Amino acid sequence: MIKGVSNNRAWLAVVPVVLVVAFSAVVPLMTVVNYSVQDIFDVDTRLFVGLDWYRETLRDPRFIDALLRQVTFSATVLVIEVPLGIWIARALPRDSRATSAFLILLAIPLLIPWNVVGTIWQIFARPDIGLLGVSVAALGISFNYTGSSVDAWITLILMDIWHWTSLVALLAFAGLASIPSPCYQAAMLDGASTWQVFRYVELPRLKSVLTIAVLLRVMDSLMIYTEPFVLTGGGPGNSTTFLSQYLTSMAVGQFDLGPAAAFSVLYFLLIVLLCWLFYTSVMRSEADG
Amino acid sequence: MAGIEVRDLSHRYPGAKELTLDGIDLQLADGEAHAILGGSGTGKTTLLNLLAGLLVPERGSIKFDGRDVTGLSGAQRNVAQVFQFPVLYPSLDVTGNLEFPLRNRGWSRQAARTRVLEVARLLDLEALLDRQPAGLSLFEKQLIAIGRALVRPDVAVVLLDEPLTAVEPATKWRLRRALKTVQTELGLTMVYVTHDQTEALTFADKITMLHEGRVLQTGTPLEFYERPAHQIVAHFIGSPGMNLIDAHVSAGALHVGDISVGPVSAAPGPCVLGFRPEWAEIGEVGIPVTVQSTRVTGTEEGVAVGLVAAHLGDQVVYTRQVLGGSLDHDARLRIDADRLIVFRDQHRFDHD
Repeated sequence: MIKGVSNNRAWLAVVPVVLVVAFSAVVPLMTVVNYSVQDIFDVDTRLFVGLDWYRETLRDPRFIDALLRQVTFSATVLVIEVPLGIWIARALPRDSRATSAFLILLAIPLLIPWNVVGTIWQIFARPDIGLLGVSVAALGISFNYTGSSVDAWITLILMDIWHWTSLVALLAFAGLASIPSPCYQAAMLDGASTWQVFRYVELPRLKSVLTIAVLLRVMDSLMIYTEPFVLTGGGPGNSTTFLSQYLTSMAVGQFDLGPAAAFSVLYFLLIVLLCWLFYTSVMRSEADG
Repeated sequence: MAGIEVRDLSHRYPGAKELTLDGIDLQLADGEAHAILGGSGTGKTTLLNLLAGLLVPERGSIKFDGRDVTGLSGAQRNVAQVFQFPVLYPSLDVTGNLEFPLRNRGWSRQAARTRVLEVARLLDLEALLDRQPAGLSLFEKQLIAIGRALVRPDVAVVLLDEPLTAVEPATKWRLRRALKTVQTELGLTMVYVTHDQTEALTFADKITMLHEGRVLQTGTPLEFYERPAHQIVAHFIGSPGMNLIDAHVSAGALHVGDISVGPVSAAPGPCVLGFRPEWAEIGEVGIPVTVQSTRVTGTEEGVAVGLVAAHLGDQVVYTRQVLGGSLDHDARLRIDADRLIVFRDQHRFDHD
């Protein structure tokens, strides 16, 4: 029989992985943490400042505004995209020749580079030449996303819905397609209404895919950068400046490395916290239900 | 509960050339347990789905208590169905699952609860009523699915589509017995689809055997055993099935080779002789056979009984008999002359 062999050289086998993870994740992250507690003047002149940058960031009204905008934006697109995606998935034909055509159509927005999405909508919504902008203007509604912050928000949310609802719809469709037909037959014989079929047959079986869909949308929408950057540049004023864009202007534009690093750490923690809260609440209700 | 009358029922799936079901006639008395037996691809599930109103027949009619329901949906027909695997509503507890069909039909909470308790008592489910389906065993889940099918007291017919397939063999008989008890107690009309002859023979008052979309035979389990109408039925029922050997009729007697087996009143010519392993014995008189193997399967009154396999020409025949002492390699097969069944063109030839 083989006894447990003590061989410390075996640890060498793990070294490559440790190195890769260190270089890809730990070192960059710790660099940011390191920056966030120092005031850096140049390569040789730096000053330890403790949590000053964190305090400053949390008191910065522009950070607070960007954070509120961010949360409002994420909540809005989530509330629209998830039900809409489920609705589209339910409306799609199953097992027909048209099914794959619809799926390909749905997948198209997901395949377009994000800056191109921004460009498409930047042109599409223009009141002078864009199809959407001109059509709305023709109805007698004044619409200008470069001038009005409400119009900018509407355009941005429409763009995000156009871009990302497909993701929810495709995931929900995959979930629906995996429900065996006897489940529907039984509900029909039990006299269930269309709403009850959705509520008691489909929704419980969609729970896991919808958890993934919501998690992905929460993370992605909190990190949104490219599309508003291309579409509105954060304006008019700061009305569509979200966290990532404010952070970039701080770090790259003004080269405030210390505050930007503190901001980054807070931003990172916020996303992790929100996803963790959501995930644990879903898992807890799973255990109860 | 309702009696069911099916006339000339035919079905063809879209795009298919062949009919899946071809001219099915079926008659079920009120409160009857009826098994639809057949191998895979014989159309038995299609027949069940037609009865459930999930499919629309190409031709023919279905009547419940004389009322034509052919064009009605399953909910309008008031049928219930149990599927191969347990179909439950995962977000509802067991009580919620059981009362679901009642609440949808406008029962008050109080009345539904009372009825659910009755059904739960019948199926021994009372302890599970507050549980969530997720934590239950496959057996318990299927029992709840069965309970939900039985919960409506006015249900016209309960349809079961191989309901024991997913259940582990050890608990199959428990579920089958629970089902049979409830069926008898409530006087339910049940249609039970299965490919398992044991299930059909033990569960059903009457059996219909399907083959290639047609009815081969309808009858009681005893009729299936003693008087199979078709060679396929003869071979399918029993383990091993009925022996089928080439024979011929001449001078008013049935002959295997040149040995007379017994008198028959049939026209001279070739035929197939059918006899169950229990109806024959290998010993010292009769048709010469070569014994291949013997296998003890049990004892009867202290004597070993078993299955003997022997070659008759190039065919293998089985007998189930008392195994007293060892059998010679070259022995003789004696068939009970009173129980001979003659098949011509696959069908039973009634000679008495």
